[in-house]
Amino acid sequence: MDFGQFVSYIASGTVFTVGVTLIALPSGLLVGSILALLYVYGGKTAARVMKVYSTIFRGIPPIVLLFILFFAVSKGINLSAFWAGSLSLGMVSSAYQMEIVRGSLLSVSGDQLMAARAVGLSRLQAIRYVVLPQAVRLAIPPWSNEAAIIIKDSSLVYALGVPEILRRAQLIGASSQRYLLAYLSAAIIYFLLVFATTRLLELLENKLTIPSNP
Amino acid sequence: MKKRFLLVVALVLVAAMLVGCASKPSSVLDKIQKDKKVLVGTSADYPPYEYVDDAGNKTGFDIDLMTEIAKRMGVELVWVDMPFDSLVAAVSSGKLDMSISCFNYDTERDKIVDFSEAYYTTEDAFVVSNTFTGTIAKPEDAANYKVGVQSGTVQDGWLTDNLVTPGLLKEANLSRYERVDQAALDLANGRIEVLMADYVPVQALVAQNPNLKVVYHGELSTGPINIVLPDGDAPLKAEINRIIKELQAEGFIDKLAVKYFSN
Repeated sequence: MDFGQFVSYIASGTVFTVGVTLIALPSGLLVGSILALLYVYGGKTAARVMKVYSTIFRGIPPIVLLFILFFAVSKGINLSAFWAGSLSLGMVSSAYQMEIVRGSLLSVSGDQLMAARAVGLSRLQAIRYVVLPQAVRLAIPPWSNEAAIIIKDSSLVYALGVPEILRRAQLIGASSQRYLLAYLSAAIIYFLLVFATTRLLELLENKLTIPSNP
Repeated sequence: MKKRFLLVVALVLVAAMLVGCASKPSSVLDKIQKDKKVLVGTSADYPPYEYVDDAGNKTGFDIDLMTEIAKRMGVELVWVDMPFDSLVAAVSSGKLDMSISCFNYDTERDKIVDFSEAYYTTEDAFVVSNTFTGTIAKPEDAANYKVGVQSGTVQDGWLTDNLVTPGLLKEANLSRYERVDQAALDLANGRIEVLMADYVPVQALVAQNPNLKVVYHGELSTGPINIVLPDGDAPLKAEINRIIKELQAEGFIDKLAVKYFSN
C-alpha cells in the first residue's frame, strides 16, 4: 500500500468526524443558549432546574452516555451508532455551552440592563438589544474552546465502530503494522480540523469586535 | 478487567431491558430470512482472522468463513465493524444478529449470549523479543517477568486466574492492552518482557516483526473459537451449526486455515 492510499484511507473518516461535530455542536448551542437565557432571566425555579441539568450532564462522561443511548435504550428507540454518538455528545455539550452562554450574559454588567430600562426599553428589548450583542462577542473565545473539544471528542464514537478517523487509523495500523504512521496521520488530521475551526472563529471574533470598545 | 466491567454493565442493562419487554421476540433467524440480510459484527483489527486490506475492505479467516455462511443461508451479509469490547453487548442488545471475531467460549459471556459450535481450534503463545535472556520452559514461568496481554481476552482470564490470583504474578507486572498489537509494540520497546496471545495471529506478528520470537505455544486458555449468537435463540443456533458442520465436512474451513494461517 502506498503512502497516499494509507493516509487517504484514514482521512476519509473525516466525513464522520465532521458529521458528528456538525450535529453535536449546533444542537448543543441551540439547547445551551435557550437554557442559559432561562437560567439567567427565567426566575428562581428555572435557575434551579437548569443548575440540576448542568450538574448532571457535566457529570456524565460522554462515552457512558453513548453506551446508554446505544445499548440500553435500543429496544425503545433504535439509534444508529452515529446518532447515538452525535446525540450523547450534543447533550453533554449543551450543558457546557449553557455555562459558556450564562457566563457571557452575566459578564455584561447588570447596570446596563437597568440603564436600558431607565431609557424606556422593555426587559425583553433590553436583553435583545443591549445584553445579547455584547454577550455574543464575549462568548466566542470560550465557545471556540468547546468547538475544539467536540471535534476531538467525536473520536469517542469509534467505540461503537463508526469508521471515523481514529477507528480507521486502528484498522489500517493493525493490518499494516505501521502504527506510528497511522496514529500520526490521525493526529495531524485532527490538528488541522481544530486549527481551521479555531482560526475561523478568531476571524469571526475580529470581525465582530467593536472598534471603540475592544 | 475492562471487559468484565463492560459485561457487568451490559448484564445490568439487559436485565433492565428484559423487565420492560416480557414477551420474547421470535427467532432472529426469521428476521434474517424476512429481510434477506444478516447483520454481523467483527473487530477488523486482528489479522489474520479479521483485518482490512489495502483497499480498505474486510478480509481474513473469519471474514471468508462468514461470507460463505451467509451465502449458504441465501442472505446478504452486512458487516458492522466495532471494537472487540462492544461486540458481545451489541449481540445481546439486539443491535447485531451475530458476531464473529475469534471468540472463545467463556462462561461469563455465555450468560448474556449463546455460542455456536466451534469452527476452529487455536493455541496460546508466549512471545518475547530477541534480546530476552530469561527462560519460559512451562507457562507458569511467565510469572517471573513483566507480562502483557489483550484486555478481556481468554488469555487475560488465564493469566489472572493462574498467575495473578495465586500470587505468582504481581498485578503491577501485568499490563492489559486494548489490542494485541499495542502490546506487541510495547514488547518491541521493552516496556513488557513477555506477551501472551493467540498463537495464530502471533505467527503473523512475528513474521512482520523480525525482532520478536515465540518461546512457548500450547493449548492453555484458548481452544475452540465460536460465533457469538443471541441468547437462547435455538433456531438460529441450529442453522449456523448445521452450516459449520457442512463446511467442516467439505474441508472448506481447513482450506481457509491454510490460506490465512500458513505464512
